[in-house]
Amino acid sequence: MNLKQYLKIWVASMRYSIVRTMMFRFDFLVWLAVDFVWMMVNILLIEVIFSHVDNLAGWGKYEMLVLIGTAMIISRIFDFFFMGNLLELGGKIRLGEFDFTIIQPGNPLFMVSTRKVDLEGLPNAFVGLGVVIYSMGKLGLEPHVGQIFLYALMLICGILVHFGVLLTIASASFWIVSTEGTENGYFNLFQFSRLPRSAFKGVFNFLLVYFLPVVIISNLPARTLIDGINWIHMLWLTTATGLWFFFACSLFSYGSRRYTSASS
Amino acid sequence: MKIGVGAPAIGLPGEGLSHFLAKYWFIFLLGLQNAFIYRWNLLIRASFSLLNLAVAVILWMAAFRGQTEIGGYGMEQTISYFIVLMFFNYAISAFTEDYQIATDIRMGTINQFLLKPMNYLGYRMTTFFASRFVSVLAVIAPIGVSLLFLSAYFYLPDESWRWTLVLVTGTMAAMLQFLFAYCFGLLAFWFLEIRGLVIFSLAVETFLSGQIFPLDLLPASLYRISQFLPFYYQMYFPVAIFSGRLSLHEALPGVVFQAAWVLALFGISQILWRFGLRQHTAVGG
Repeated sequence: MNLKQYLKIWVASMRYSIVRTMMFRFDFLVWLAVDFVWMMVNILLIEVIFSHVDNLAGWGKYEMLVLIGTAMIISRIFDFFFMGNLLELGGKIRLGEFDFTIIQPGNPLFMVSTRKVDLEGLPNAFVGLGVVIYSMGKLGLEPHVGQIFLYALMLICGILVHFGVLLTIASASFWIVSTEGTENGYFNLFQFSRLPRSAFKGVFNFLLVYFLPVVIISNLPARTLIDGINWIHMLWLTTATGLWFFFACSLFSYGSRRYTSASS
Repeated sequence: MKIGVGAPAIGLPGEGLSHFLAKYWFIFLLGLQNAFIYRWNLLIRASFSLLNLAVAVILWMAAFRGQTEIGGYGMEQTISYFIVLMFFNYAISAFTEDYQIATDIRMGTINQFLLKPMNYLGYRMTTFFASRFVSVLAVIAPIGVSLLFLSAYFYLPDESWRWTLVLVTGTMAAMLQFLFAYCFGLLAFWFLEIRGLVIFSLAVETFLSGQIFPLDLLPASLYRISQFLPFYYQMYFPVAIFSGRLSLHEALPGVVFQAAWVLALFGISQILWRFGLRQHTAVGG
């Protein structure tokens, strides 16, 4: 299949997902509201902390909100395109439903990660964007086009890192068939994206800032908006993204060779 | 089809106490066995919650830089709060009880309880306590690991009244947790799918029960309002007593409030059960 055909399949499955979501409109609204409440709770946490202190590891209140808004945009766009698909992957491998993916005439990773989109994610990505824009206004920042362009590029890196980490966790199911619930680790891990990099010390600094790029995916774009362009940051983020994405894809294709199906 | 309203809340007429206790003891054992089936999942989840604890610890340690107290409490008390919270989360939270009850209703497995001399609430509450017993075992290891790093910031209360009150309020908090889940589960008599509702209330509960930050850091008026809501008593209250955020003078009226909420939710659950059964068509089973 060529690129055009892949795109056509993706668009078709998006259209199907949207039609399906619109059949369960009330459900859709409930999930939207739930997610919105969670986001507000996170913002409230910042409000509460800053009602008692004036900075968090050197970050001011509105700088923190730029950070949190950025983390929200990344995770919501990832939710929209990929999260549901990758969360289902582990179960598919365990139950033998992965059969239906590998018999399709396309790249299995593409097929499995674009089967559907979750519409709930998208509106709240705009809420995140709203938080960022509002906080930038409060900080009196007016980023130029280059900053915005690099910021957008860094957001894409963030989405790819989410993809890589969750795919790595899901691919573990090729080896550990009996264990459910490892996917939840993904949610625990990316909570660190909402914290400023300067708050990390010692072993956490090594693990979560340098080894797993869960902290830098939000911190570096936020600093790009606040402080201006830093090419070393850009290089760091793109390299880390490339390495993780490549590692995850290799693990997936190596694991899928071990796949033995089940119960059929 | 006309169905009875199920067995009365405590025992059956003519049923001896020993018989009654033996019955629930068996259910408790059954609950233990069921919970042990998922021991690995539980252990994995408990280990992952170390990451949640790490998020809170890193955040609050950063907030305490250049600061000796926040809201009148030092860093030790604040970090202790989150460690105790993690313990209580596994000791008293109702994780999946609402879904289990909803499934019983939807799939019709609840019908067997309507036909047997068994009170459904009693049965569910007993298995709830059994599975909490197992999840406490699962969280011991992660708590131990966290104390390796954080023992300098962890403190155990030395006043004996705190230990007594934590036992009392912790038990009532568990009952509140259970009754909440029970009531939500019973909504399945009316709605096919309760997942959205449950997750929505979970978000509100998580915040208002002090699992995001200690509630006393809220502006005074909001904190006062939160004290009238049941969420305050289903998690924050025992945790705050244990980690020294409430004095005896402040805690005692809370115990009365908490007991009132337990009774109120019990009443609501009985009403839901009564009206729910009228809706129930006993499909499947």
